[in-house]
Amino acid sequence: MIAKLERIGLQTTRDTQLIDLTPTVLEVVAGSGVCDGRVFVNTLHTTTAITVNEGLPDLEDDLLALLADLVPPDRPYRHARFLHADGQMAVNAPSHLRGALLGMHVSFPVADGKVVRGSRQTIYFVELDGPLFREYTVQVVGER
Amino acid sequence: MTPAIDIHTHPLQIEELVRDDPALARAVREVFGLKMPAQPLRTFLLHMDAADIDRAVLLPIDCTTAHGCVIVSNEQIARLAEAEPRFIGFASVDPNLPDAPRALEHAVTSYGLRGLKLDPALQRFEIDDERHAFPVYARCAELDVPLLIHCGHTWSPVGRATLAHPLRLEAVVQAFPTLKIVIAHFGWPWVNEAVMLALRYPTVHLDTSILFSGTPSESIRQALTTTIGLDTLDRSLSRQVLFGSNYPRVDPKRVAWAIDDLGLRPALRQRIFRDNAADLLGLEEKRP
Repeated sequence: MIAKLERIGLQTTRDTQLIDLTPTVLEVVAGSGVCDGRVFVNTLHTTTAITVNEGLPDLEDDLLALLADLVPPDRPYRHARFLHADGQMAVNAPSHLRGALLGMHVSFPVADGKVVRGSRQTIYFVELDGPLFREYTVQVVGER
Repeated sequence: MTPAIDIHTHPLQIEELVRDDPALARAVREVFGLKMPAQPLRTFLLHMDAADIDRAVLLPIDCTTAHGCVIVSNEQIARLAEAEPRFIGFASVDPNLPDAPRALEHAVTSYGLRGLKLDPALQRFEIDDERHAFPVYARCAELDVPLLIHCGHTWSPVGRATLAHPLRLEAVVQAFPTLKIVIAHFGWPWVNEAVMLALRYPTVHLDTSILFSGTPSESIRQALTTTIGLDTLDRSLSRQVLFGSNYPRVDPKRVAWAIDDLGLRPALRQRIFRDNAADLLGLEEKRP
């Protein structure tokens, strides 16, 4: 069995943003040597998310707008205080909660060396507290 | 809307700066108390974009005698400001060192730095110490550059807020009537005292980097709306309040949103976000 892990950096440029990871994921799978198995895409942060949707700008806008409606910026969140462990103010509760709604990973089957996904399925990295330099992992596990 | 000038940022989370400077990395972590991983310089600029900030003042702190370190040197600030025209560099000198006035003059005349940052809580000097601090203020006034001074609460693990009471500036203001002073953080929790000085002395300014608990919106509303009152701000302090974020302790976009949440009239908003800082720093700008 092969297990190949790639840790990939990403500079986000806005407060909230969807970034298409699909080409990178396909490339990692193609170069992994895995013929049959599974690919896992995980974010390494708690104010970002990984999700899958149709890759259209209007849907991207709708998704971010929905998250803002579901988790508004001005509720009296308890996560609004100084974090001594970080030396920074924690004032980003909405970012954490929006990330929790979307989740931190997705996975797809890999068959005949290719990712098995629907033609409309785009894999997104979702920035919810940018801009920041972020990281995510793509892990391919399976048989040669 | 005209982009803002951020009068209060610390270039402490810049990967390109701390990566090759272990002494700075230690000072940032143990003295300033910032423990988050560094980010590329580009992230700083993108943070400015996200908050609609055009230019940012970079503040160092010289803690040589108090803690054996500088939290970014004047040379490093000068290099950053030279490499990136959106940055405006301030100097810091240690008032406990006898050559502090000369070091300030060197930083201004040789490095082109445009102001002085002092932090009595971290640098451990008495604000109204005529023997040590006054010669620095005198040189600052002679050089005609503003002084931004930390006042009030400090998040540094080794900072002493008792040294940073804004009322101790009164003797300084009276001794140096031309010295332009910015009281950081509105001097919180001594907001009334800081505001009293600004009301009485037009050379005293206040920056908006107020955040003690809750969100920036809650902290700033508490200080500016509840404690001072927006009428007082508008009538008497409209030319003395400057936008400051205290990045990277706080995300600049959230401080900008917090000020927008106050619903200020456009002319006052413009003064706080940009014009007052442009005037203080002597930036040549045409006004509409």
